[in-house]
Amino acid sequence: MNAARAQVEPIVGRYLNLELLGRPHRLYVEEAGQGIPLLCLHTAGSDTRQWRGMMNDAELLRDFRVIAFDMPWHGKSSPPAGWQSEAYRLTASDYSAMTLAVADALALDKPVVMGCSIGGRIALVFAIECPERFRAIIGLQSGATIDPYYELTWLHHPSVHGGEASAAYVSGLMAPTSPATERWETLWHYMQGGPGIFKGDLYFYRGADGDIRERLAGIDTKRCPLYLLTGEYDYSVSPQDTQLAADRIAGVKFSVMPRLGHFPMSENPALFLSYLKPVLAEIKGRG
Amino acid sequence: MTRYSFWAKVRPAMTLPLDVLAQRAKGDGLLARFGRDLDLALIVGDGDLDWLVEIERGVVARVTRGPLIMPRSDLRMRAASETWARFLEPVPPPGYHDLFAMRRYRRIQIEGDIRLMSAYLFYIKRLFELLRPREAGA
Repeated sequence: MNAARAQVEPIVGRYLNLELLGRPHRLYVEEAGQGIPLLCLHTAGSDTRQWRGMMNDAELLRDFRVIAFDMPWHGKSSPPAGWQSEAYRLTASDYSAMTLAVADALALDKPVVMGCSIGGRIALVFAIECPERFRAIIGLQSGATIDPYYELTWLHHPSVHGGEASAAYVSGLMAPTSPATERWETLWHYMQGGPGIFKGDLYFYRGADGDIRERLAGIDTKRCPLYLLTGEYDYSVSPQDTQLAADRIAGVKFSVMPRLGHFPMSENPALFLSYLKPVLAEIKGRG
Repeated sequence: MTRYSFWAKVRPAMTLPLDVLAQRAKGDGLLARFGRDLDLALIVGDGDLDWLVEIERGVVARVTRGPLIMPRSDLRMRAASETWARFLEPVPPPGYHDLFAMRRYRRIQIEGDIRLMSAYLFYIKRLFELLRPREAGA
């Protein structure tokens, strides 16, 4: 092996032990960069690797400390003790409480929060419930609800490989123009997801608990700026779906990202950054 | 009452080039990886025309053009020819670019053994991708 060609990425990962929802947890957290804290939330059934492009962008890392954590049960974070006798089901209140607890444990000072898909939904919940906690909120593929178009049974069933099924179910959500290497990297993360975890995340996403349509009018973007960006090829949260949400929020800034789908930061990091950087520059400019 | 005419059913218009599927599927690495142990009788509806695609041990064994007479099938996927035409574009527009995208917008009818479809969805999606012009000879 040619050691001179090997490169170490700027990403540093550590484990955080803390209490979440009244139980001890061991979470994997990684970060890169310095400056304004930017807390990133991955999609349902995946993990922090989705943010690898951002965490390797030297220009971005000069001004932003990019932080991401694997939710409990995801990636390199453990499920809580006793998991073998439980069914994993995410709820809006648990998701919100866990994210805020991690931000507190890391002593983040008014971070920017950016979430994608379920993370984009919880970003809207933050805008409703606790905008003062954040410098700005960015929702990727954010919608207030979802139009169910497939049956969840087979995502977690003993006769079907849940990882391959979950990956195949979400595979079309990416733009056909996104690079094959990045698309298949994104799908690999899904294939590695723990059994039943993607389905458990969708409990929040598709259930009544996560339907926030009637709460959107309560968002005050003067208390915290809110940006929504949606890839045009996403049919889970389509640009029209985000537009329906944006229509109910005064002062929101919504834009469509051409040639991207449901996993913008992971399916085509370079293109995504070209859409995101002007937003981050505006946030930085606000001081 | 309209009088039934089998002549009208002999050569309906078709969009999907399923007659070349078996040839294009040969040697495809993705089908080989995700088609382990797959036996599947798949009916593909292209407008008024049905095709029967028979997969044996992961290999496209037979493709039969309709009209089909009481075929046995595990899975049926049917869409209008106009929908398939947009699906086949080299860079298909959003909403037509994937079987599930078409499903979300109710442009495709999917019925049958959904467990089998879920277990082999990468394989099934790949079959349809191979019908795109850019995949010819690939």
